[in-house]
Amino acid sequence: MNVEIETTVNGKLVHASVPARLHVADFLRQQLGLTGTHLGCEQGSCGMCTVMVDGEAVKSCLMLACQLDGRHVRTVESLAEDDRLTPLQEAFRQEHALQCGFCSPAFLMTATALAHQGTRPGRAEIRDEIAGVLCRCTGYDNIVTAIERWFAEHPQTATEDGPSEDARSA
Amino acid sequence: MTTLESSPERTAGTRPGVLGVSVPRKEDERLLRGDGQFTDDVDPARVLYMAVARCPYPHARITRVDTAAAERLDGVEHVLSGKQVHQLTEPLGVLRPVPGAPRLPYYALAQDVATHEGQPVVSIVATSRHVAEDALELVDIDYEPLPHVVDVLGALEPDAPVLHPSVLESNLLASTTDGRGEPEARFDEADVVVAGRFRVGRVSPLPMETRGVVAQWRAGARELTVHCSTQVPHLVRKQLAESLRLRESDIRAIASDVGGGFGLKLGVFPEDVLACLHAMALRRPVKWSEDRAEHFRAATHARESVHDYRIAADADGRILAMTNVYATDIGGWNSPFGSAQLSSVVFNGPYRVEDGSVERRVTLTNKTPVGAYRGYGQPEVNFAYELLMDRLARKLGIDPIELRARNMLTPDELPWVNPAGAVYDSGDYARCLRMAAERIGWDAHRAAPRRPRPDGRLSGIGFSSFVERTGYASSRFLAKRGSQFGAHESITLRANRSGGIDAYTGVSTIGQSSETAFAQLVAEVFGTDYDAVKVHVGDTAASPLNTGSFASRTMIAAAGAIRDAAGQLAAKTLRLAAFRLQVPPEDLEIAGSVVRRRDGTDGADGAVPLAEVYRTAITGQGIPPGEDPGLEATAHFEPSDAAYSFGTAAALVSVDPETGEFDVERFVLVHDAGTVVNPKVVDGQVLGALAQGFGAALTEELRYDPDTGQLLNGSMMDYFPPTAADLPPIELLHTHVPSPVTPFGIRGVGEVGTIPPGAAVANAICDALADYGVELNSLPITPEKVWRALNADKGVQQ
Repeated sequence: MNVEIETTVNGKLVHASVPARLHVADFLRQQLGLTGTHLGCEQGSCGMCTVMVDGEAVKSCLMLACQLDGRHVRTVESLAEDDRLTPLQEAFRQEHALQCGFCSPAFLMTATALAHQGTRPGRAEIRDEIAGVLCRCTGYDNIVTAIERWFAEHPQTATEDGPSEDARSA
Repeated sequence: MTTLESSPERTAGTRPGVLGVSVPRKEDERLLRGDGQFTDDVDPARVLYMAVARCPYPHARITRVDTAAAERLDGVEHVLSGKQVHQLTEPLGVLRPVPGAPRLPYYALAQDVATHEGQPVVSIVATSRHVAEDALELVDIDYEPLPHVVDVLGALEPDAPVLHPSVLESNLLASTTDGRGEPEARFDEADVVVAGRFRVGRVSPLPMETRGVVAQWRAGARELTVHCSTQVPHLVRKQLAESLRLRESDIRAIASDVGGGFGLKLGVFPEDVLACLHAMALRRPVKWSEDRAEHFRAATHARESVHDYRIAADADGRILAMTNVYATDIGGWNSPFGSAQLSSVVFNGPYRVEDGSVERRVTLTNKTPVGAYRGYGQPEVNFAYELLMDRLARKLGIDPIELRARNMLTPDELPWVNPAGAVYDSGDYARCLRMAAERIGWDAHRAAPRRPRPDGRLSGIGFSSFVERTGYASSRFLAKRGSQFGAHESITLRANRSGGIDAYTGVSTIGQSSETAFAQLVAEVFGTDYDAVKVHVGDTAASPLNTGSFASRTMIAAAGAIRDAAGQLAAKTLRLAAFRLQVPPEDLEIAGSVVRRRDGTDGADGAVPLAEVYRTAITGQGIPPGEDPGLEATAHFEPSDAAYSFGTAAALVSVDPETGEFDVERFVLVHDAGTVVNPKVVDGQVLGALAQGFGAALTEELRYDPDTGQLLNGSMMDYFPPTAADLPPIELLHTHVPSPVTPFGIRGVGEVGTIPPGAAVANAICDALADYGVELNSLPITPEKVWRALNADKGVQQ
């Protein structure tokens, strides 16, 4: 059974007909070709598939595509524009916060959603906030450092509507 | 994290270069933008999807397979059963077989008997993954459960059910003994003997990207293109050719971005063969993306072993002999890479042991096959010998630092051959030990009165010293062991008309930063800019034959190949530029994007842009007489020996003596990585491996129910790799003793962090609870185990 939906993905309005049992991650990857969102367990534990839905970090394997109707989705593909990494991505690069990179889109979207909350987390809070996403390569230290650095160097991200807009003007 | 002494001396060249500099990684931009290409991201037109029916029992005879209903389901395109696989393929090969082990008839689908939960029995291809999985529900398989055994020691008992009776009389796949001297005589004359049985739990390497394969077959071209999440594309090509009865020239294996390997993604698995068979039958692309439930049951596991260790010493604590007899669990089959082998090689750690022996008993059980995992046997024995060293210290009343220092090999004793034949190349082991002791505050801790803190907890400090073999000791060594690969790496460097250098390697990108490090070395040796070098990875059709990325060997071997190829390329570049400038080549040098005069007296012509020299070479227009056109070099390099890295870790814990609950409050690692190509990458490798080490030490264990033989915690909900909130603060310190046996003095760094956490934490807990006489003897270390050890005298079982 298919369901008709209208959703906004990375700023673009998308009309789609989706099988009722299709989850958001498969929808993004297979129907929209947004393969930056990865799958690691499909039971909401590993966090690889984290995207933003209406400003909140969501594990997209636990949400059905038909639930996206009328909502706004942001994926990792929405961050960099043309050849410019955003300051958050640049902080990951400078701090060596990724190795195989399979989990990086999820951490980037988790951090983006964290900024959306309007708080300015300390190191321990960052650790707690990103604990829903696993990384098997880095040991997390550099990820925490990158996010901490991004908040420190771009304090406006904590109060404005997500980092990507201000990042481009930075 | 704190890093001290992490600015190694630059070793090559006098010109400012990029070796030893933390340049940003080549890999990062695409990965951060979601533009990585992992196997599941490969999406050919008209692709079909594979799903696999798996045995739900630990040991069962397959009496009937009925796939008729599945085949009738709309969207199902093809079904394979064990009988067809037997007709179409050869059994899977083993890349690093245990010496003396017979070959087991391990087919991609179970034949008459399945020997572990999760073994593939039927595979189905359909128009979507959903339909393929729906079809699995319609497959009707009758199983006759057989007696099973999941305990590694139980499997060696005479009454244990034998897994492979057609090949073996028992579950002992093979046993090997290494050693020298007369250890038993030393035990007889020793003042003190400590001994113990140490159990190391079964864990999953657990890469975040599961396994995956996309196979495409063009029959007329005889071209099988296989995208595969692997650490070893060229070995995948070899093993697929053997299993599928194809020529290697018919196969192109490609791995671009691999979402973590850690030793698991070595070699061809059953599902790789199945996807190829379906694709060849259907002449359509077939994709299989492993789900996590399958990963826990059908990708390889690691580590599980039981070690019976003994140390004999004199009254001063000098080790007279050390022995280990251990059973290592291989699961139901000898896996594509085979089980860990370094428990035998470094069983004596960094200690001077003249008389010693190590006996390995590779044991089959009705569990998922065991393969390689970062550390490859070294964390297992480190846990055992380091706990025994502390017991020896307690027994003799000697400071454990002093005891270790007395027994550690000194720099002037190296190189030294250990009882298993390993050649420890160089290093200052005791220096790392003393640095760790100083950093953690050992002397003050030892001098302070032993009493609870205000919160009722007791503090303890524990150490773990280790050596780590990195790389392989030449192809001659591997040949003796029957290994199906060499010890070399290779590189092709090719200049292009844009003024850049393309580097082609069979190494795939698994997070180890090879693209970055290779580009750094090319730039350093050749003299061009780091940005001018692009590294193309993991495609067997576009790279010279190589070995692959495992065993902490990639950089050690590749550095030699890059040095040689870049040297050849530079020499020809200078000859071509010299012809154009009409000066001797030795007066010229490559600097960034130009060739210029060394003395800085560039004449009217000035410096020549490299892009111009490259174009000259590529067109052949304007090259000197006798010179061939083209500007390309390929080199292969095999290091003469393995490099042994080394270090000491120290853990500070606090323990609640009532409940056994504990925290690791500080963790220090002092480690020698020899010459460092990229300090940030090296730290990253060490930190990441430490996280995996802490997982295996504290929270990770795959548990099987002995009665049903079922895996009890085969999901991300029930298996606990560390999260960002779980790890202790880590202080990383380095020393830099260049290895004399590798190019540039590099030592491997990929695996070191997995080795010491278990022993350091266990020793710290035993130190904290010394007044309670607590001894630990198994991994993972849980509060429950500590509580049981605290109550051992009350009859509580450990």
